[in-house]
Amino acid sequence: MPRVVTMLARLVSAPATVLGTLALTLTTASPAVGAEPTVDFNRDVRPILSDNCFRCHGPDEKERKAELRLDVRESAVGQEVIVPGKSGESELLRRITAREASQRMPPPSTGKQLSEAQIETLRRWIDEGASYAKHWAFVPPKRPAGGSIDEFIRRKLEAVGLTMSPEASRERLIRRVTLDLTGLPPTLAEIDAFVHDPSPDAYEKVVDRLLNSPRYGERMALDWLDAARFADTHGYHIDSGRDMTRWRDWVIDAFNRNLPFDQFTIEQLAGDLLPNATVEQKIASGFNRNHMINFEGGAIPEEYHTAYIVDRVNTTATVWLGLSLACAQCHDHKYDPFTQKDYYRLYAFFHNVPENGLDGSRGNAAPLLRFPTPEQQRELDRLAEEIARWQKLEKWPFLAKWAKSQQAPLQQQRDKLERQVPTTMVMQEMPRPRDTFILIRGAYDKKGEKVTAGLPEALVEHPISTDRPLNRLDLARWIVSEENPLTARVIVNRYWQMFFGTGLVKTSEDFGTQGEYPSHPELLDWLAVEFRESGWDVKRLVKMIVMSAAYRQDSRVRPEHLQKDPENRLLARASRLRLQAEFIRDQALAVSGLLNGEIGGRSVFPYQPPGLWEELMSRADGANWTAQTYTPSHGKDLYRRTMYTFWKRTCPPPTLATFDAPDREVCTVRRPRTNTPLQALILMNDPTYVEASRKLAERLLREADSTDERIRLAFRLCTGRLPNEQEFSILQRLFEDRRTKYRQDREAALKLLSVGESPRDEALPFEELAAWSSLASVILNLDETITRN
Amino acid sequence: MNPVTEYAALMTRRHFFGRTATGIGVAALASLLNGEKAIASPHFAPRAKRVIYLFMSGGPSHIDLFDFKPKLAELNGTELPDSVRMGQRITGMTAYQGKFPCAASIFKFRQHGQSGTWVSELLPNIARVIDHCAVVKSMHTEAINHDPATTYIQTGSQQPGRPSLGAWLSYGIGSESKNLPAFIVMISQGSGNKTDQPIFSRLWGAGFLPSQHQGVRFRSGADPVLYLSNPPGIDTADRRAMLDAAGQLNQLAAQSFGDPEINTRIAQYEMAFRMQASVPELTDLSREDRRTIEMYGIKDDGVDGGFARNCLLARRMIERGVRFVQLMHRGWDQHSDLPKQIRGQCSDVDRPTAALIADLKQRGLLDETLVIWGGEFGRTVYSQGALTKDNYGRDHHGRCFSMLLAGGGIKPGITYGETDDYCYNIVRDPVHIHDYNATILHLLGIDHTRLTYRFMGRDFRLTDVHGEVVHGLLA
Repeated sequence: MPRVVTMLARLVSAPATVLGTLALTLTTASPAVGAEPTVDFNRDVRPILSDNCFRCHGPDEKERKAELRLDVRESAVGQEVIVPGKSGESELLRRITAREASQRMPPPSTGKQLSEAQIETLRRWIDEGASYAKHWAFVPPKRPAGGSIDEFIRRKLEAVGLTMSPEASRERLIRRVTLDLTGLPPTLAEIDAFVHDPSPDAYEKVVDRLLNSPRYGERMALDWLDAARFADTHGYHIDSGRDMTRWRDWVIDAFNRNLPFDQFTIEQLAGDLLPNATVEQKIASGFNRNHMINFEGGAIPEEYHTAYIVDRVNTTATVWLGLSLACAQCHDHKYDPFTQKDYYRLYAFFHNVPENGLDGSRGNAAPLLRFPTPEQQRELDRLAEEIARWQKLEKWPFLAKWAKSQQAPLQQQRDKLERQVPTTMVMQEMPRPRDTFILIRGAYDKKGEKVTAGLPEALVEHPISTDRPLNRLDLARWIVSEENPLTARVIVNRYWQMFFGTGLVKTSEDFGTQGEYPSHPELLDWLAVEFRESGWDVKRLVKMIVMSAAYRQDSRVRPEHLQKDPENRLLARASRLRLQAEFIRDQALAVSGLLNGEIGGRSVFPYQPPGLWEELMSRADGANWTAQTYTPSHGKDLYRRTMYTFWKRTCPPPTLATFDAPDREVCTVRRPRTNTPLQALILMNDPTYVEASRKLAERLLREADSTDERIRLAFRLCTGRLPNEQEFSILQRLFEDRRTKYRQDREAALKLLSVGESPRDEALPFEELAAWSSLASVILNLDETITRN
Repeated sequence: MNPVTEYAALMTRRHFFGRTATGIGVAALASLLNGEKAIASPHFAPRAKRVIYLFMSGGPSHIDLFDFKPKLAELNGTELPDSVRMGQRITGMTAYQGKFPCAASIFKFRQHGQSGTWVSELLPNIARVIDHCAVVKSMHTEAINHDPATTYIQTGSQQPGRPSLGAWLSYGIGSESKNLPAFIVMISQGSGNKTDQPIFSRLWGAGFLPSQHQGVRFRSGADPVLYLSNPPGIDTADRRAMLDAAGQLNQLAAQSFGDPEINTRIAQYEMAFRMQASVPELTDLSREDRRTIEMYGIKDDGVDGGFARNCLLARRMIERGVRFVQLMHRGWDQHSDLPKQIRGQCSDVDRPTAALIADLKQRGLLDETLVIWGGEFGRTVYSQGALTKDNYGRDHHGRCFSMLLAGGGIKPGITYGETDDYCYNIVRDPVHIHDYNATILHLLGIDHTRLTYRFMGRDFRLTDVHGEVVHGLLA
């Protein structure tokens, strides 16, 4: 530790320029040492130009100043702003180095200023001929030379004089890979089996077992739910409930049966348009119905109808294309080559759903698929028959009034029942598409030029040739076509992020010119091509990643790591990552034996402090709205996996939000990872964890015979390893101290054991149990416990 | 934030935590709750160091509170002319109403203080401190419904996804407190419209900023902060013993892994422990003298939903270094029976609001504390539903509304902006909500165009690409 501190102190006290250069090297992820001295346009130059110049000298025609484009070589060279080979004669250089404020670029009013290093880069680039290249992410990936993940990682490490760390211990490795692939810790039997397996493919066997576990689908679905902005309420204003759990079940199942990612994509974007679409494929299309829906009294339907479609475009663009297309809703994109027209051509794909601008007060909004239970169907049939019988009588004038009066209660009954029939929201296409217009400044009521559905021109080499108008299915198929340079890269990058903590492109939501240049561009392309050519085989990709030596490394930090690569982008070690919100709770439930492993189905209501929803809502559940009052689940439903917790958008589950879960209002593909005192309070005091500590304590008393054994068991269940001598003695002292306390204060012991709905095992001595419960709580709070190491 | 400063900040933080838990510097502690400050020092000298924002959710009627229009008495009952409405879109609630009869306020207005500011009889206590305040009569917004309007004024965008004002401040200038969050939110429901509009956690959310910047909800009852109290059967000494053991174990892990994040975790647990003492101390009003309790009008009979108590808590919070305290007080959405509802609502908020301003003044805190009072939009001059001699309702109105500002560099005793005789359109000095937010940031020493966060390739701001500081409001 002291060595690390010195190192850090030295870094901090280093002159700003050194720090700057170091940071720059890291953010552009250029190899710096030992690489070719030439300037690479995409890696070195474009980020500078994009961030500082493109706003006024880029793709957005309306904002363009002096008719100069610096994103197009012809414009820059044509106007002699750049004279290739001659930086001294280039106006660009004169302007960026000008002392006079009126001459300087970027103008001081922008608050932007180029660093010495950036100016030097531009100077060298011009002197070397000022060559341009298409933005790397818009050029389809080609398979680079190289045969494995590790080859690319090692190449980059060597360049800075680092080496990979040795493989992590088996105990650590199996905990890491089990948490990563299932979101749950390994059982002790699983750890033992792996640790004692002498076969050369012991690790591979573990990986295969995990990939075939149904838990794998749940784990993979979790990040997809963030991306798909899945929730159990509509999100605006009164925020009534909705039920998209059939769609969630579809996602879990799709990952478990390893549905190829291209098919996974097509079914979610356009499953309803597939020839002879199955019910499952229609359910899948609900992906783009997961956006927020409004029914605020007095709101203007068209305003919200527009918002839904905007959300579909933005979400689809972020999830599959890694593009910040939202910028082009109001004007041409300022950094990337997308026009406002491109935006509304995409918008047209999503504009033809027979839906209402204001809807959802009582649950799901049309269009829907219905899933009546057999009993409901029988009852509905019966009511329909009876109503029909009365209707027949209506044609006799003297019976009409009476017949009508007899129908009314039946119809009411039918309506009431109809509202109880489970449904799921789906996409559907209107027979005649709506007209789509460019919306001036993005305003729903300011229609401009009429446009038809089409793909972004900058990404399409060979336009789809057809006489009929393009539809969502065409869009979906193009997204997973070889033609599209982005999707395979964007997806493999997100899986990389899932297992290494940070993507090869750190800005996993933005592959545009403002996004980060990849730390390992060749590896990214290699993975993308491998993925696509494997038939978009997700399990194969995941297996390839977790089988790599890079993934299997030890996570201990050595001083040279912090010195040369403090963010660990080059991967000279495995990253330690705090578990995501859901895994922390799932782990506590699992080790304490509380976990109810049921997969799928309706969302549940675990412990939550009373009043949290009601303070914001001040309404009640009833005929008009739902999800206004929090009614906690009881029994087994309290212990479902956390991904099934009911997600109210205007008041998300507080413990999850504190551990960085997003609010699910909009698409999120990257969660932050914060470290706060509010997190500590949850793990110390939330009844969920107090109860889990008690149940874990009961387990210790039942499954081990001595104090020593129990300490070892508790520690091992939570961290996957045995405590060392020092750790053991700290826990031993703690236990004795706690036991003394609860022997003296038996009432306190009983109080502590009263937390949580699950019954206490009364056969166990309660003073002991309280002491073990305290010890279990301490272990559940350890950094190592809530971290995948 | 540029990568260099981000990196330097990270390293600075890590440097602090490179020591043992007991050796952590104060600066590092302050940043524990709130992460890094985006700007180490203000862009210019701040006039305000803290903000108390009394958000009047639902849209108070400017016509009945501040924006006095003697001519309306003559116009009472006449149809709102098209020349005034000018095709303004109106909500679906009154769009199909056949008539739009102007409804003058039935409440009396009088000029108060040396400034001679007009205030309605509904707010007699606020009238007494009006010389400390600026009344802005020319606020305006494009939104006409609650969800988009509250989201707009709080986050600068009508659609969800952006950080709230308090989150921007937490991110921008952090907390002054060693053991309280930078941004605290308290919610109450007044006795006006009892089934008032819902509010949403996004109004104090962090949007795309790191989640530690979200407002921390303080509630009444045993746990002002969620999960603050130890479980039954665990007292402070027990907790200390447990934390000591956890701390020692985490120290060993820090040595073994060399990961500075573990040291941060140790410090966060210590902070949590301190919060267990500092928060109850903060919310315990028993040390406040009886005069103060009376001055705020704290009765705890449930009528005001706890607003008065929250006002006093707000003062105690800013005394302890909290940067931004936001009270979300509901009950202002008065579509019908407005006279009755607004009477109740005003009797809830008038006294505590005035007490807060006076109390801050007497303690010498008002100079550095910006107090804001207002909602997401105003209300229509025309009656929603039938207009009778003593009853009317008012729909939402975004074209003009009034806001009260005091302290923290606000020019006291002024009225800013003017509306037409119908309280419908602004005729002088309009203040768009982006201008208003730009001005709040300005008072805190922040150039609103330079407090940015890079997300999806773009440097986002609270004020989007708009906003002009309203210099006429500055002292």
